[in-house]
Amino acid sequence: MDKVGIVGYNQVKCYSDANYGRYEMIFEAVRGAIDNAGLKKKDITTVISATNDYYDGRTISNCFTVEVGGGYMADESKVEMDGAHAMLYGLMRILSGNHKLAVIWGGSMPSCYPYHSARLYETDPTWERPNAYVNDITSSGFQMRAYMEKYGLSKEDIAKVAVKNKKNAAKNPLALEESQNPNISISDVLEAEIYADPVTELMVAPPCDSVAAVLLAPERQAVKITDKPVWITGVGWNQETYYLGERDLSQSTSMEHAAKAAYDMAGISNPRNDLDVAELFEVCAHEELIFTEALGLVEKGKGPQLNTEINGDFPINPSGGALGGNPPCATGLIRIIEAVKQIRGEAGQYQVGDVKRAVASGQIGMCAQNNILYVLEGEN
Amino acid sequence: MSKQTQRKSMDYVKKEYKRTRTMPANWYLSSYEYKFNITHMQPFLKKLKEKKLVANKCSGCNRVFFPPRLVCGKCLVKPDRWVDIRDTARVATYAIAYLKDENSEVQEKPMVLVHHDGADTSSIAELAPGVDVKDTYISMPIKAHWKDNPEGGLMDIEYYDLMDDDAEDLNESK
Repeated sequence: MDKVGIVGYNQVKCYSDANYGRYEMIFEAVRGAIDNAGLKKKDITTVISATNDYYDGRTISNCFTVEVGGGYMADESKVEMDGAHAMLYGLMRILSGNHKLAVIWGGSMPSCYPYHSARLYETDPTWERPNAYVNDITSSGFQMRAYMEKYGLSKEDIAKVAVKNKKNAAKNPLALEESQNPNISISDVLEAEIYADPVTELMVAPPCDSVAAVLLAPERQAVKITDKPVWITGVGWNQETYYLGERDLSQSTSMEHAAKAAYDMAGISNPRNDLDVAELFEVCAHEELIFTEALGLVEKGKGPQLNTEINGDFPINPSGGALGGNPPCATGLIRIIEAVKQIRGEAGQYQVGDVKRAVASGQIGMCAQNNILYVLEGEN
Repeated sequence: MSKQTQRKSMDYVKKEYKRTRTMPANWYLSSYEYKFNITHMQPFLKKLKEKKLVANKCSGCNRVFFPPRLVCGKCLVKPDRWVDIRDTARVATYAIAYLKDENSEVQEKPMVLVHHDGADTSSIAELAPGVDVKDTYISMPIKAHWKDNPEGGLMDIEYYDLMDDDAEDLNESK
C-alpha cells in the first residue's frame, strides 16, 4: 500500500448539553483542523462525513453539512457508521490517486434526542423487537454476563476498567466533564445507578455532543504539510452476524479477524512487543477487556490481569476511551486522534513515554458487531 | 395514506415552528410497516398453532437455527431442512432491564437469550413476570409458556417459565 498520512486533526470538547448549533460545531472541528495544519479551503479535494439520519433527525443528513464540512465545490460523501469507518473510505479515496487532501469528520448531538431509545430500533423488527426490550445497554448486559460467566470474573474486574478510564479522562481536557473523576473508586462504579443489571451507569460510555475531524494526505503532500505526519500502516475490518443469539458474546471474533488483517498488513508478529499503546472504542467497560484479548495482547480470560494504566505494562485508553465521552459517529475518529497525539507526543498530561506504533479501533452495532482496527506509525 | 394523515404522522405542523432556538420534530417509526415474506417460514408458523416448535437447518454447515433464519450467513444459502426442537430451553445469557409501565412505575424485567434444546442459536425473550430476578443464572432450565389459543405467530410464546433444576451442580452454577 502507498503511504497515506494523517496530517491534521481537531476535536471539539465533549459536552452533555452543548451550547452549540449543529452547524457551528461541525464548522469548529473542520476549520480548526484545516487551520492547525496551515492549509486553506481550496486545498480540500474530498470530504467524507460520518453522520446518521436518525441521529440528525432528517433524511440524507449530509446534504445540510456541505458548507460547514468544507464540501463546497469538492466531492463529498457520507458513511452512516462510526467515524473510523469514514476514515477507511477517506483512505480509499486517497489511495485511488485522485485526491490530495481528504477531510474526514464525524459527530452528532445526542442532547437533541433520546440516544438509548433510538438504539431500540436497531433490533430485528420481525424476530426480536416484539419479544423483548433490547437496546445497546441491555445487549451490553448480555455480553458482560456471558464474559464474566465464561472466565469466572467478578464485577470488580469490570469496574476496575471504568475506574481507570474515568481517572485517565480527568487528565484529558477534551473529555466529558461529567466523566472526569480523579477520585473515583470501584465501589462508586458498582453502586451507581443500575442501567441493565449487571451494567451500571458508570460502566456505560456516556453519549455526548462533539465533532471530530481528521485530515489525510498521500505521502508526497503529507511531508510538505507537516513535519510530523503519522502513517497508516495497517487496517483491518470485519463483522459478525447481526443476530445476538448466533454469536459467542464472551469474545469478539470480528475484532480477532480485523486485528489479524491489520497486523499482517503492518508486519506485526508480536503485538504485545511491537505496539506501544492502544486506543479502543468500548461501549461498555467490559468490552475493553474483550478487545484486549481479541488483539492478542493477553490470553483469553486474562484481560483483567494486564496493567493498562498510563505507566503500566501496556497502556490502553490513556485518554479515557469512550467512557470519557462517546459522541455517536465521532468516537472511533477520536480514538484515532488520541493515538495520533500519542505518536506525535502531543498528549500532554496523559502522554505515554515514547510511542512509535499505536492501534486505534472503531466499532458499530450491538455488542461490537462490526470492528475496525488501524495501525498507526510515526516517522522513524 | 392520505396527504392529511401523512402530514400528521410526520409531525410536520406549522404552528409548532415558532421558536428559532430549538425545533420540535418527531419520527414516528411505529408508522413504518416492515414487510416480511412468510412463505419461507410457513412450516414454523403452522407448527406454532399446534404448540410445537421447528427450527431450520442449513445443509451447508448443519447449524440448526431457532428462530428460523431466511439465510445462513456462513454459507450464503437458504436453510431448507426443518427439524423438530423441544420447547424446553436454557438461559444462554441475561440482563435485567428496568422499564416504566403505564403507571410510570419501574419494573424489573429479566431479558434473556434463550438457547432451545436442539438448536444452535439463541433467541431474545422475556422470563415469566413472577420470576425473582435474583434467582436467574446462566444455563438455568426454562420452558416456553404458550398462549391459550395460539394463532400461528411469534407472539404465541408469551414468556418462559422456570423448570425444576435437578442438576447436582446447581449451587456451583449459581
